[in-house]
Amino acid sequence: MDQETVRTICYLARLEIDQSKSEKIQKDLETIIDLISSLQTIDTSDVEPLYSPLEMTAFMHEDIEKSDNKKEKFLENAAASNEDYFLVPRVVE
Amino acid sequence: MTWETVIGLETHVQLSTKTKLFSRASTAFGASPNTNVNLIDCGLPGVLPSVNKEAFYKAIRFGMAVGAQINQTSLFDRKNYFYADLPKGYQITQMDLPIVLGGSIEIILDKLAKTINITRAHLEEDAGKSIHDEFDGFSAIDLNRAGTPLLEIVSEPEISSAKEAVAYMKAMHQLVTYLDVSDGNMAQGSLRCDANVSIRKKGAKELGTRTEIKNINSFKFIEKAINFEIKRQIKILENGEKVTQETRLYDSSKDETRPMRSKEFANDYRYFPEPDLLPVIISDEEIKKIRDEFPELPNEKETRYQKEFGLSAYDAQIIASSKPMADFFEAALQKTKNYSLLSNWLIGEISAYLNKEQIEIHESKLSADIVAMLINRIDDQTISGKIGKSIFEEMCANGSSPDEIIKSQGLEQISDDEAIEEIILTVINENPAQVEAYLAGKEKLFGFFVGQVMKLTEGKANPKTVNNILKDKLK
Amino acid sequence: MSIQFKSIVELRAMLDEKSISTSELIQESFELAKKYKELNCFITMNEESGTKKANAIDQNEKGSSWLSGIPLAQKDLFCTEGLRTTCSSKILSNFIPPYTATAVQKLEDAGSITIGKTNMDEFAMGSSNETSFFGNVHNPWKKGYVPGGSSGGSAAAVAAGIVPAATGTDTGGSIRQPAAHCGITGLKPTYGRISRWGMIAFASSLDQAGPLARTAEDCAILLNTMSGHDLNDTTSLSSDVPDFLENINQPIDGLKIGVIKEFNLSDLDPQVQACFEESKKAYEALGAQFIEISLPNISASVPTYYSIAPAECSSNLSRFDGVRFGHRAENTNDLNDLYIKSRSEGFGDEVKRRILIGTYALSAGYYDAYYKKAQQVRRLIKNDFDHAFQSVDVLMTPTSPNTAFEFGSKGTQNPVELYLEDLFTISSNLAGLPAISIPHGQVNSLPAGLQLIGNFLREDQLLNAAHIFQKNSDHHLAQPDLGDF
Repeated sequence: MDQETVRTICYLARLEIDQSKSEKIQKDLETIIDLISSLQTIDTSDVEPLYSPLEMTAFMHEDIEKSDNKKEKFLENAAASNEDYFLVPRVVE
Repeated sequence: MTWETVIGLETHVQLSTKTKLFSRASTAFGASPNTNVNLIDCGLPGVLPSVNKEAFYKAIRFGMAVGAQINQTSLFDRKNYFYADLPKGYQITQMDLPIVLGGSIEIILDKLAKTINITRAHLEEDAGKSIHDEFDGFSAIDLNRAGTPLLEIVSEPEISSAKEAVAYMKAMHQLVTYLDVSDGNMAQGSLRCDANVSIRKKGAKELGTRTEIKNINSFKFIEKAINFEIKRQIKILENGEKVTQETRLYDSSKDETRPMRSKEFANDYRYFPEPDLLPVIISDEEIKKIRDEFPELPNEKETRYQKEFGLSAYDAQIIASSKPMADFFEAALQKTKNYSLLSNWLIGEISAYLNKEQIEIHESKLSADIVAMLINRIDDQTISGKIGKSIFEEMCANGSSPDEIIKSQGLEQISDDEAIEEIILTVINENPAQVEAYLAGKEKLFGFFVGQVMKLTEGKANPKTVNNILKDKLK
Repeated sequence: MSIQFKSIVELRAMLDEKSISTSELIQESFELAKKYKELNCFITMNEESGTKKANAIDQNEKGSSWLSGIPLAQKDLFCTEGLRTTCSSKILSNFIPPYTATAVQKLEDAGSITIGKTNMDEFAMGSSNETSFFGNVHNPWKKGYVPGGSSGGSAAAVAAGIVPAATGTDTGGSIRQPAAHCGITGLKPTYGRISRWGMIAFASSLDQAGPLARTAEDCAILLNTMSGHDLNDTTSLSSDVPDFLENINQPIDGLKIGVIKEFNLSDLDPQVQACFEESKKAYEALGAQFIEISLPNISASVPTYYSIAPAECSSNLSRFDGVRFGHRAENTNDLNDLYIKSRSEGFGDEVKRRILIGTYALSAGYYDAYYKKAQQVRRLIKNDFDHAFQSVDVLMTPTSPNTAFEFGSKGTQNPVELYLEDLFTISSNLAGLPAISIPHGQVNSLPAGLQLIGNFLREDQLLNAAHIFQKNSDHHLAQPDLGDF
């Protein structure tokens, strides 16, 4: 795992690692990847991945409105908001 | 150097379900900000999605209409990226197993038909909206739209010009409104498209580098944006340079496309199957029900109107092409049997009025009942066609029924032979010079007499009766 | 009579006999929490609301249910409306949820009283409760020793007798392992048995809520209430919920218990092994039969888990972006800066590590090799279990390869060291199977736990086997000294 890869996945995850910790993180990540790479030796040809332990299918709901009515509570929880919107630093497209 | 344009369109159709794809918040347009937001739509910790059945039914109807394969087992996947209007930090979409695969749409341009194939169509949730310019230094986020069901329809790159792109979008618009899959209201964002445009030398096999123009929401802009982009790319290639693969936005005020702010790292969406949603299975019974309840499509209506109601091919095509118009026609048919008069009025006076006001028939004050009544009153000679036209104006303004107007303004046509004869005799007596001139051979003066009778009867005399009696008396 | 160390069954009797009122019971629970504050098991207390509810219950002298007036602690991973919920993270240190998790709601509707929210490993990521923003939890049996994780606070609160029971969550062993280290009983139900609505997600296909209590019987009482299909969680089972108390006293003659060959118990600490052998004998004496079972892919459990869980968590934790709730960094230049700073300031190191691994495992070019591969191995592991349950009723293992350890003694140099703590528990999460841990002795004066793994939907069998063991032994009655606290 090189520094470039670490930088990329940090950005994808929107995380930054302290300079002082970056070497250890890289080492930790390498150790964990070694651990999970051990699966490569197992033969999984023709094996369907198991994404959920349930052999069930989706329950779907009817198209009937049921509002939670919690606008104020949602906006209250935000670090920055006014009575109508969540606010973030201005985005330039 | 002859260049060839290759265009692929990704259309996002907002489904006309009452509630969102994964929550039961309302999808009603125009609500005050952040009120159509349930816990799920806000992406709060601990929330879980639940699938809206109706969204699947609408997607399947679309798939059936374009002759696509319906995947009775389909899956949802997560598309991971960060943006202010994406509350969970991922969008739930369908990657590997979409609900609809394949299909095609026929477009007609300059009387020539062309088939555009569809790669796939899948369900996904819409993001919220960000408003960038209203709050000093801040962008404001409204999550009303977050979670609204979208059907993303991907075409094969078989479109060759901006005009074809518009024809395709118009055909798409007609189809989704007809199927009651979407309200197709482009101004409200119900239908928008991303255009992938590339240029290559004519006859070349490989595709050129493409750019993607995002979120175009009107037919006019689609045509302009694509045309601009084609010109821009051709210029670059003619200069011996390469086109950069990028995402662009169309700026309608400047009529140009410009690149979106470039990102430092290309987005890796890290798709994986959505673990909070199990596979969706649509049963054979459900498929059968959707097929059985399938609405009649425009071309089927055209044929039927001609066969059952004797409309001309031209008239049938015009009425059938707009669902609101077709619905109106069919509703009016319950109340009147004079099909040809009805269709004449729809295509003539009524369409002219709607065009002037820039509205659709279901947005006007005209109801099928009152229009049918108008047709009947002309048909049964209660009023003349001419009086009908003036009544129509008032119907448009107030939605009042013809009977009401006729009664309150005393507009019944005078058809009584004796009454008309009396008035004719009055006109003849008062205009001896014209009578003499007419009898001497000035046949054109017939119209003068008719005019005079109409004046005295305030236009209410039955024209046919007037003609007959006048001819008789002017011998 | 003190309420400390009493089970739900015992407290129910006391309340019904009116030897104590609900208010007295709740007050004492709060007092115990204050007395043993040093354990650091609670992050937020619910005194005002709890006291009010206790008074109300005393006023309405209607017929009581099992849980009416019983004090419970809720793991701080469950959203509780109006009551701070932090997941032991700085990023949620001031989060007040606008709704309550279904599992908690059901317990409260049944009359229980939430005493407070318990400390845990940050976002449930850990096996020792050493990653909490609010500090470590002490094992009531030995100060300066870990209680296990991630439900360390819940386990400690029950072990110290502050509450008779608590809720926890288990993604790789987070109920069972702290239950084992703290000498109490903890149950992870079948995946889907309890609704995940309101349970802040770590790894969606592995997470499951469950009870921690002093006895299997108490666990059955809680499971009865917490279980059931929830329309808000479409991954919750629609199967009927049996009464888990109904057959709990059935004799276990002929019960077939499998011992997993590949776990090589002879490699374990000899004292841990000895405990296990004792328990085998105890079960044999109760009529059970032991059969050696092979689960050929079981040793792949830990790497499989550590490919899947971080991947799912990396996505589940993307919503913590500082925009709509939670910690937001100050003085940021633009949106990306806001994300990066808020998340980096808000998350601890273990959480960051897992998010990064998960991001990597899902990224283009690596997805097939890591995430998809792991889900394929997962199916092999599940198939092994399905096959095993054709010849046995339950499987038995030690809950953990060792007992509680000193703060900071594992995982600081190498994170994988701590991951291996979950060796015996992780596979049941991968397969979605129910499993229970019961105390079965002590090693160097620290509790050791015995694990039973059951077939899909067969919590009844586990509870029965556990209950009969407890009826015939007294390990679960041992109480920590608490002199150091």
